Amino acid sequence: MPPRLRVRVDLDLCQGHGLCQEEAPEIFRVVDRPGEYAQVEVILEEPPESLREKARAAARFCPNRVITLEEID
Amino acid sequence: MAARPVEVSGAKPGTGHFEEFLAHPAEFLLRAYRECGELAEFHLGDMRNVLMVGPDAHEAVFRAPDEQLSTADSYQYMVPIFGEGIQYGAPLELERQQVKIQSNALRPEKMRGYAKVIAKEVEDWARGWGDAGEKDFYEELQQLVLRTSTHCLMGAEFRAKLTDEFGALYHDLEAAITPASILDPYGQAEVFARRDRARARLQEIITDEVRARRREGGEHPDMLQVFLDAEYLDGTKLPDEQIPGMVVWIMFAGFHTSSNTASWTIVELARQARFVPAIEREIDSAYGAGQELSFAALREIPELDRFIGEVLRLHPPLVTLMRHVRRDFEYKGCVIPAGDTIVISPYVAHRVPEVFPDPERFDPTRPAPKSVFAGIPFGGGRRKCVGNAFALLQVKSIFCALLSRYRFELVEAPESYRDVMPSLILRPSDPCRLRYRRRA
Repeated sequence: MPPRLRVRVDLDLCQGHGLCQEEAPEIFRVVDRPGEYAQVEVILEEPPESLREKARAAARFCPNRVITLEEID
Repeated sequence: MAARPVEVSGAKPGTGHFEEFLAHPAEFLLRAYRECGELAEFHLGDMRNVLMVGPDAHEAVFRAPDEQLSTADSYQYMVPIFGEGIQYGAPLELERQQVKIQSNALRPEKMRGYAKVIAKEVEDWARGWGDAGEKDFYEELQQLVLRTSTHCLMGAEFRAKLTDEFGALYHDLEAAITPASILDPYGQAEVFARRDRARARLQEIITDEVRARRREGGEHPDMLQVFLDAEYLDGTKLPDEQIPGMVVWIMFAGFHTSSNTASWTIVELARQARFVPAIEREIDSAYGAGQELSFAALREIPELDRFIGEVLRLHPPLVTLMRHVRRDFEYKGCVIPAGDTIVISPYVAHRVPEVFPDPERFDPTRPAPKSVFAGIPFGGGRRKCVGNAFALLQVKSIFCALLSRYRFELVEAPESYRDVMPSLILRPSDPCRLRYRRRA
């Protein structure tokens, strides 16, 4: 079994560009917040193996490098 | 009592360090860091500033909220350029929505279209160069980026008829951004009067285009279309009279920053020729047999990416990022009081030897620093440049097209190509002449 994946985002740095949502809509959603910056919300914190590549692409193409992927056990 | 940052030597009564800062901001700031370290205090007239250097310091600043460290307060000199009600001339909650609208104009589905526009412009530009020749590439790339930007922003028709005037008006806007304008952007100087006339004329020609679009309808693939369709969060449309300001803002952010980066890239390709064969192989295999370079291929093109990354490390076009302190800001036992200005400098940040060993050496193979706050050509945090992906796409498109055809050589001695700062944006010295030769 490959280790499971956990997705983390650093909201201090997110500008809500939405490239992550474009790469992996199963995992990320960008939410508009009146009076604040739009920001990402992680809707699937521990994505299955089948979404590993999409999660990687989201992290790689995030303009602000907000997304980190952790391998757990 | 809390510690204070160390003050940079050489302050003069009344003006402080203004004169030395004015002569070459990047060199002054580098001296300040080398003399004082992580925190260096300096004075521009009555304005007290603290330069903060290093990944930890940058992170602390980039994580601070707008309400504590204000970008808007520091950039009020941009208000006469972008216009009242736009960016830092608008309340914070509106400005955030305007940034979001700008970033919508740069989304991936739009970028695919821009990539094609840029490729076409580069082809037209390089047609007729022949097998070999010599050009001033600072001038050339400025003209090219003016055409690509105008085309992506305002569409093909506007690009065909108004590019020259657009460029001249921009020149007048940029000429008014001087270190003196930071202290008083509303002075009586002739450059400010010329700026205001240029801004009024831009309002006119962009408004004409907006009216024509509203009259004729239809969908256009450019950024202007995004502004025409944009709505604020309360459902009201972005008012037509704000559209010129949005255009001026996005153009301003992306014009000379990108063209100067492209100029430095071409100089370094000529000066650091040993790295060129690997880049050419990569581009040749991405292009295949004369096929169009796809958006996907442009997105990840590692050798060229690393080369441009190293250009941006040594020659970041924006040398100072400023934040006005609204509430006391504490960093490692030092308190920077409300009223001071914090300065972060990508130029200095990228020359910290603990992060970038032997910093003046051009080396695209150097390992990426651990911290995302070490390399900051586009700034960082929630105020990071929203056009960063577009800027890289543009520069990469230019060099994929050029390097598949030509090689470049220096005309002058290598050390004569220097960083200069006639305005607040860093660029290569001119003349910036290079020879080109068609690849075998």
